[in-house]
Amino acid sequence: MEATQELLFKIADDALIMGHTDSTWTGLGPTLEEDIAFSSMSQDKIGHAWNLYQMLHDKFGLADADTLGFKREEKEYKCSHLTEVPTQDYAYALVRQFFFDHGQFMRFSALKNSSIEWLADFSRKVTSEIKYHTLHGDTWLKKLGAQGNEESKARMQSAINEVFPLALGYFEEGPREAELIEKNIFIGEKALQEAWLEKVGDLVAQYGLTLPEGNTVDPSLGGRNGYHTEHLQPLLAEMTEVTASDPEATW
Amino acid sequence: MYGGGYIPEEEKRKQQHMEEDPAKLAEFEARIDNGEKIEPHDWMPAEYRKQLIRMIEQHAHSEIIGSLPEGTWITRAPSFKRKMALIAKVQDEIGHGQLLYNAAETLGKSREQMMQDLLTGKSKYSNVFNYPAKTWADVAVIGFLIDAAAIVNQVANSKGSYGPYSRALERICYEESFHLKQGHDAFVALATGTESQRAMLQDAVNRWYRPIIHFFGPSDKDSVHTGKLMRWKVKMMTNDAMRNQFLSSYVPKVWELGLSFPDPKLHKDDNGEWHFSDPNWDEFYQVIKGNGPCNAERLAVRSWVETQHKWIREALFNPNAKYTLPLS
Amino acid sequence: MDSLDPRIARLHDIRAGEVPTVGAHDYGETYEVFHQAKRGKHHAHVGTVHAPDPELALVYAKEQYGRRQQTVNMWVVRTADIFAFPYDDSDMFDSTPQKIHREAAGYKTRDKIEAYKKKQAQ
Repeated sequence: MEATQELLFKIADDALIMGHTDSTWTGLGPTLEEDIAFSSMSQDKIGHAWNLYQMLHDKFGLADADTLGFKREEKEYKCSHLTEVPTQDYAYALVRQFFFDHGQFMRFSALKNSSIEWLADFSRKVTSEIKYHTLHGDTWLKKLGAQGNEESKARMQSAINEVFPLALGYFEEGPREAELIEKNIFIGEKALQEAWLEKVGDLVAQYGLTLPEGNTVDPSLGGRNGYHTEHLQPLLAEMTEVTASDPEATW
Repeated sequence: MYGGGYIPEEEKRKQQHMEEDPAKLAEFEARIDNGEKIEPHDWMPAEYRKQLIRMIEQHAHSEIIGSLPEGTWITRAPSFKRKMALIAKVQDEIGHGQLLYNAAETLGKSREQMMQDLLTGKSKYSNVFNYPAKTWADVAVIGFLIDAAAIVNQVANSKGSYGPYSRALERICYEESFHLKQGHDAFVALATGTESQRAMLQDAVNRWYRPIIHFFGPSDKDSVHTGKLMRWKVKMMTNDAMRNQFLSSYVPKVWELGLSFPDPKLHKDDNGEWHFSDPNWDEFYQVIKGNGPCNAERLAVRSWVETQHKWIREALFNPNAKYTLPLS
Repeated sequence: MDSLDPRIARLHDIRAGEVPTVGAHDYGETYEVFHQAKRGKHHAHVGTVHAPDPELALVYAKEQYGRRQQTVNMWVVRTADIFAFPYDDSDMFDSTPQKIHREAAGYKTRDKIEAYKKKQAQ
């Protein structure tokens, strides 16, 4: 697979699976207003994935977006483990979102300078949408961290400790990393992770919470190479239950 | 999405004996006859206030409970377009609930109290959402036919006399037109699809037929109560009139796709009036009482939401906050 | 819980029949939302959100009142901080014919100018 395709697949798969797992909160959020905000972000992410699969179709002649999104084998997905985990605790959902959205924001910000013009164009549009996602996450971490009570701080801290290794896995390098950097398509995961760590480290400290020391944590790796958590296979089976029931049909 | 024109009437008799200042009542009724809206802090008869709270609150509950049957298929929607449309639609329903709770709050009942009354079963919501969405085709039937029925009701009510409710309904009707479109689109896709898709759709239509006939409630055209509510423009059409309008508009749209309803008596007479078999109103009352197939699950989910997120409310709680009714 | 919705079926600690108590201030205060569609236009009142504080009120206003409309800016104001006339006093806004001095139509100079010009021309 070509380096650019690999890059697009991992970003698209991340966005699709993250949007999908976020949609488990639609109708079940803490307040009606929060439910609405969270559902919007879920839709945005699925929309980003749709756009990216569409680019893979248009620019590389691959299958259409629905086929790429819904009909690949588990091993072909390149999403990070961070996106695959189910969330039943809102602290966990918020922290996961916070780490992911800052990662996405910085990734697309870097891609604004990509040597691939159409990817740079798309990235400019997407970053403005993700800006709201980071505002949402930042506001919540502040409210439940520095401005919260003992219980909320403890819950947020334990969510941070739990999610952080998964978040580090988001920066796992793909097989064609060097080529992407060399051709100025993308700055590379190392540079991205460094910038991200500085940013979220500052914010988390500002919100009265602590990021685990990097060297004490084993990043959850494998996703970018098609090795996933035990959650992805059942997730995909559920997502494609209807399409699989009649493969000939259009829906 | 809304749950029909049926307002439980258990306290009807009590309310009819409420005494009102005749001069104020005359002024209030003149305003309504004149086509003017009533605003939150206007003088209004106690019964008007009570019936509006009951109706708007029930409508709001129907929106948030109504998000659950369709939510059943959120993680399984079969394409990007359907997946995003379904999340957007369920989101809109939560949004409609939000707007409607605000409108009801202007009349003096807090959102917290309304939620509590939903959970205890004291306030009701539309029966139709106590039925399960068994297959993907149910999403299409709900999105097309239940939403269409809701629109008949909401368009009528948006011309009612209470300002905040009318304003909320205007926006809701605008968004419902998207729901109906996407519902019809999903419905037609199945109806014109493979044999198994058509069979799935016909099965769903069969199962939803009775809840749809129930949707507008039993006939109320002879009720004295209805007369008063219509005079005050709380209720804008009788249940029969709404049901008839719905059947006229949508039964042909199902028939034209070669699908049927499980009722040999369903037909329109020469006067434009629809007839159908006895839809078993006992079942309707049983579901209102809490004995429908999904009542317990629906309320358990909303209770879970309150319990699960309690720690967040406690962390955000502001001891200096005071309760203020929304302005309009 | 045995549910057709896999999302619900997976929830821990969900039980039918247990009714939690909703606290009197569980949903925070109300904020009135003002929406500006375009630069140069007024902010217009569009509705209310419940939120624990102004920052979250803004976060919520954006999605509840801006997700379908074109928007350039929004305000939120605590409902409690708004002062309003009572509707009982709305007759106070009825204007009487004496208020014609405020209306453009109350000033008719053209006739006088025409008459003056005519006189000068004679």
